[in-house]
Amino acid sequence: MTRTKVLLVDDEVEFASALAERLQMRNYEVRTASNGLEAMALFHEMPPDVVLLDLKIPGMDGLEILSNIKKFDPTIEVLMLTGHGDVSSVQKGMQSGALEYMMKPIDIDELTSKIDKARKKKERG
Amino acid sequence: MHSNDRHEQELRLLQLHFIGKILAGFTHEAKNYLAIINESVGLMGDMVQMGKSSEKDLSEYLQIIRSVEDQIKKANEQFRALNRFAHRMDTELSSFNLNESIFELIALLTRLANQKKITLIKNFQEDLPSLYSNPSLIQFLVFSVLDEGLLKLEKDSRITIETAGVDQAVQIKIIPEGNVLEQESDVPSVPHEIVEMAIKQLHGNIVREGGGETLIVLPLTAS
Repeated sequence: MTRTKVLLVDDEVEFASALAERLQMRNYEVRTASNGLEAMALFHEMPPDVVLLDLKIPGMDGLEILSNIKKFDPTIEVLMLTGHGDVSSVQKGMQSGALEYMMKPIDIDELTSKIDKARKKKERG
Repeated sequence: MHSNDRHEQELRLLQLHFIGKILAGFTHEAKNYLAIINESVGLMGDMVQMGKSSEKDLSEYLQIIRSVEDQIKKANEQFRALNRFAHRMDTELSSFNLNESIFELIALLTRLANQKKITLIKNFQEDLPSLYSNPSLIQFLVFSVLDEGLLKLEKDSRITIETAGVDQAVQIKIIPEGNVLEQESDVPSVPHEIVEMAIKQLHGNIVREGGGETLIVLPLTAS
């Protein structure tokens, strides 16, 4: 099985780089973006299996990125990450096709289990 | 119910809404700091488990430790701002430094502004005289004007908050700069009649000038 390609979108650069390194140590292929435009550019350059998306990205809202991703390829699974207790944004994300959401701070084992589950779901189509 | 009583009740409800907004922003910010610390510490744990101990690895450990220290420092500043903000409500009237009270409000609103890609700029007169007034009502008043700007302005805009002393009063000038959103809401988050009521309680004056600038004038003593 090839390595799972993960696109991590979060404006907290230190959070994203530490999490990316931890995922790489667990054999995931990870690329990071800190804003919507960068995320969409990386997305088109190397379509990922799974996207980890912070809901609150300055400039382009996480929900807008989610909608763009789903328009491009509805089979790509998106896991939302949020530090915000804003239930309405989470509900909107789920309605827009996100697979699941996780509240920050996250547990790495729980996250990798959700990424694996998301990839399997994508492969089943 | 008299119109004044209704407005008074609405003012209290909007003040609660304001406190809720501040707390939501604060907890979001705090969770982000914790998330960064959690990942940084987790990464160090992973590196230790993998037996990483070369000189390059040691330098990475130090870098991670510095990042954790930085997050703790930033979180501490936010906690201090929230603590001072909460204590502003201890007594209705007190003697205080206006710059400090606006500084902590801006610190607590920065994430909300960043989210909208709007920069809040402080331009305070350093030797401003102390006020004897209602600090939490003044913070609410300033928030009301700032929130209106945050709702109206497009991303990459800025809002400057100036303070200055004039005669037996201080003034706060709020200057929005940037393009106004096309789908601008006509309804401000805090209705103008409530803002007028708050300024009346503070024995001050508010002037909305052309170009979206707002000037708030407050007497040194509100009683």
